[in-house]
Amino acid sequence: MNKILEKLKKIDRRIIYLLVFLSIIIPLLPGFDFLIFPVPPTKETKAIFNEVESLNEGDAVFIDWMFDPSSKAELLPMFEAFFKHCMKKKVKVFIYYATINGINLGKESVKKITASDEFSWCREGVDYINLEYIPINADIRIFNMDVDFKGTYKKEGKIFEGVETIRDLKYIFGLSGSAYHMTFIDMQIRFNYKFGIAVTAVMGPDFVPYLQTGQITGMSNGLRGAAEYERLVSDKYEKSYYGTATKGMSSLTFSHLVIFGFVIVGNIVYFLDKKKRG
Amino acid sequence: MKKEIPILLGLITGILWYGEFFIAGMFQENQKLFFANGLKIAGVVGVAVGVYSVARQNYYKIKYNNERYYAVLRVTMIFLMIFLGVTSGTSSGTPFSSMFMNVYVPFQATVFSLLAFYIASAAYRSFKAKSIESAVLLIASIIVMLSKIPVGGEMWSQIPVIGEWIMDSPSSAGRRAIIFGGYLGSITMMIRIFFGLERSHLSE
Repeated sequence: MNKILEKLKKIDRRIIYLLVFLSIIIPLLPGFDFLIFPVPPTKETKAIFNEVESLNEGDAVFIDWMFDPSSKAELLPMFEAFFKHCMKKKVKVFIYYATINGINLGKESVKKITASDEFSWCREGVDYINLEYIPINADIRIFNMDVDFKGTYKKEGKIFEGVETIRDLKYIFGLSGSAYHMTFIDMQIRFNYKFGIAVTAVMGPDFVPYLQTGQITGMSNGLRGAAEYERLVSDKYEKSYYGTATKGMSSLTFSHLVIFGFVIVGNIVYFLDKKKRG
Repeated sequence: MKKEIPILLGLITGILWYGEFFIAGMFQENQKLFFANGLKIAGVVGVAVGVYSVARQNYYKIKYNNERYYAVLRVTMIFLMIFLGVTSGTSSGTPFSSMFMNVYVPFQATVFSLLAFYIASAAYRSFKAKSIESAVLLIASIIVMLSKIPVGGEMWSQIPVIGEWIMDSPSSAGRRAIIFGGYLGSITMMIRIFFGLERSHLSE
């Protein structure tokens, strides 16, 4: 028993890394689809879904993309599910990239979606538009959007018809791996727009107070939020829009259970060692 | 005047933008666009200064053989991407886009993914119930972790409910207190910058 205890106390961290690696990679291998569990949606994600569902054809939605490839695993699936939902509702989508590192990632993702048979009818400049990046702060940009929306981004297209200022946007949706969208929350009281957000799981707790005050109408929290949104869209349109988020949930589940196991074993070792030392 | 002019500019623009938030239409519309255009120009100049600064730093590393090969690689990649972007554009299908999607995206995603292993190792070594407070923290974190995965609800139907309560009540209460403190601190800093008491942004 003492030998086992000593070995567990000094366990090589490479063994921990190996177990975490296996728990992440095995569910993603072909043939392990039976490990994909259904993800019941939470009220925060449903709120975003319901906001988009309440939009009419031709309404304008603004996506503020503020993540780079480091947060791609959690936020890109949410962007794809949200964009597909907007295209199914035939709303106009403006995509602004608040980070240079996200531009090509976003454009490739949109290109992949619009290349599919179902969304091949989507035309850039009419149904959606990539607004690129401009090097100004979010608050100045929001004030400018209130003056001249099209002039702020210096783009052309039929999509701008009927969208003169920020008040013509029916929904603003931010995707961020940082506290960047606090500016949108601060400005929300001034310009009174509806704002929803998708964040990485580690940032989720920071935004819960704003959910409670109503400054954010909904929040998608990490990979789970994206999987919930995929499920909501799939259930609504009775077609599979499941993507990497739902598949990734099995990986997330097992890695969480492995870490949970480490915590339990670590505490058992700690208490046994404490008892042994008196 | 080298110190007084920036402080005066900060005071005037700060008051004007602060007022604009509370009094709609305080600015003329073209004045707001003036600030945006000015910031765009400053941003572009900032990028140029950044590239020059990185190139100069790496030049000295190459010259004095301080991590020379990494410095050569860094400078080569920076100028290669600039060259590819300028010559063939940055849209989909160009060499720039291929380099970005096939090199940069996997690299950056991988670096961030390494955190998972460090967290697992840290969880095993330091996440221990050494006191009552740490025991409460441990139990709360386990419940929240289990509530985030579907299996948690399968183990016990109340886990998602308790996890949600933890996030909505004690966690957001503490978070709200931190937000209040943070904003009080930033208001203090703002007043200090307005009156020229804080000059760290002027390199003093």
